[in-house]
Amino acid sequence: MRVWLPALLVLLLLPLFLPRYPVEVLTQGFILALFASAFNLVFFQLGLLSFGHAAFFGVGAYTAALLVTKAGWPYLLTLPAAIVIAALFALGIGFFSVRTSRIYFTMLTLAFAQLLWAIVHKWYAFTGGDNGIPGIPVGGFAASATGLYYLALFLLGTGLYFLYRLDRSPFGYALRAVRDNEARAEAIGLSPFGLRLSGFVISGALAGAAGFLQVAWQRSAFPDFLYWTKSAEAIIAAILGGSAHLLGPTIGALAFVELGAFVQARTEYWPLVLGLVLLFLVLFFPRGLAGLSGRRDARG
Amino acid sequence: MLEVREVTKRFGGFLALNRVSLRVEKGSFHALVGPNGAGKTTLFNVIVGRYRPDGGEVRLKGERIHHLPTPRIVRLGVGVSFQRAQAFLSMTARENLMLALLGLKGGVHMARPLAAFEAEAARAEELLGWVGLEGVADRPAGELPLGDLKRLDIAMSLAGEPELLLLDEPLAGLSRAERRQMVAFIEGLLRRLGLTLLFTEHDTDAVLRLADRITVLHQGEVLAEGEPEEIKRDPRVIEAFLGGGHAQG
Repeated sequence: MRVWLPALLVLLLLPLFLPRYPVEVLTQGFILALFASAFNLVFFQLGLLSFGHAAFFGVGAYTAALLVTKAGWPYLLTLPAAIVIAALFALGIGFFSVRTSRIYFTMLTLAFAQLLWAIVHKWYAFTGGDNGIPGIPVGGFAASATGLYYLALFLLGTGLYFLYRLDRSPFGYALRAVRDNEARAEAIGLSPFGLRLSGFVISGALAGAAGFLQVAWQRSAFPDFLYWTKSAEAIIAAILGGSAHLLGPTIGALAFVELGAFVQARTEYWPLVLGLVLLFLVLFFPRGLAGLSGRRDARG
Repeated sequence: MLEVREVTKRFGGFLALNRVSLRVEKGSFHALVGPNGAGKTTLFNVIVGRYRPDGGEVRLKGERIHHLPTPRIVRLGVGVSFQRAQAFLSMTARENLMLALLGLKGGVHMARPLAAFEAEAARAEELLGWVGLEGVADRPAGELPLGDLKRLDIAMSLAGEPELLLLDEPLAGLSRAERRQMVAFIEGLLRRLGLTLLFTEHDTDAVLRLADRITVLHQGEVLAEGEPEEIKRDPRVIEAFLGGGHAQG
């Protein structure tokens, strides 16, 4: 708390002193941080590697984009819809996926997400197909770079606080109990399927909120939001930052986006640099950037 | 208390249990013995709802339970402890027990932090006291020695104030000295609580000391059932797998 309060204060004041571009880069970092934190709920708390979280990110984005462009909703009012629709998709996909474990869960989530991507990619009449939905009017204070920065920071902060509460609640303990020992969890009255599905749906809803923000950041929605490489970004951010820490995915996402912007401005070999950074971290600092503080997370 | 009637369980072509029946009377300590592969753990898993039987039924206090999932069965007053000591290793001993207390009464939600459940914390302290683990309440379960982990496992199975306790090989993996302690501990605690016990065990001395009644399984079938003295003298049991007049499990 002593470290993070000043950090929050700095983040609140930064747009007053920074030009537009770094503010936009930071905003992109917050969006990825929210997405990666959502992914990490399933990855760390449930011990399941979802390779299909882009589906919920994309569904949240397209829900906002379609409601603005086709139904004329004000952008900000689409947030609850983006969250609910993403949660419903997570419910449907999770219903089939969380029954399986390990590699089967990973492959099933990937398959569902790629299926949705293919539909969005080809359904020109509704989603704009591979052209996506460009030129989305974003009104209100989210229209400016600074306004969107604060909106993204607010949603990230709210999401992290929610995850913090979840983490310490009996529900969070129950999720980790199912991860640690399913048979023991059942023997104390816990339902592994119900808990996994609940965690998956919450995670999908938060990913949908991140997708909602991405629409304002790009003023567009593209099928790539649902593509597997988007899921990989969340995985990389969580591993880079350290999945065992609540703030790990946020630190990883900010490092990923900032480092990416820095390197891409100087060389076209960003994927090579990213690969080397990941190799170095996984080999020498397996607990990620957040683990460098030397403190172990109580969540195990 | 518990009645298993003609239970059959197959795994593919393998007949793990063939029309197995047994009755566990209220207040008794009932042992289920047999060599490896006899079907003890399979029967244990059928009773706790982890396996659905292919035939027969299981009744608890007259109610059919063999179609119910494990979480429902344990809430009906059945405490379960598995073969290998099992706890949630990333949590402290106290957190394990608090979660067990909340899980068994369906109180797993997000409204408050776990640490704010004072009644459950007090009850967890009491349970830790019962099993002699007061001093390690705040240690992660993953750091506890096996004997303590088994005691924690048993404390978790007592969290729902069960009437029937099922222990699958409670002495497995313990040293001779630890076994003696554990037998005395189980006997003292469970008799004091007035619980009914069904347990599987390979340790003959422990079985003969603890059990009021013994069911002997062999190749998925009930070979013999009776009081310890009867079982020790039963020629079928001796013929099948006992030596020197003593049961070997």
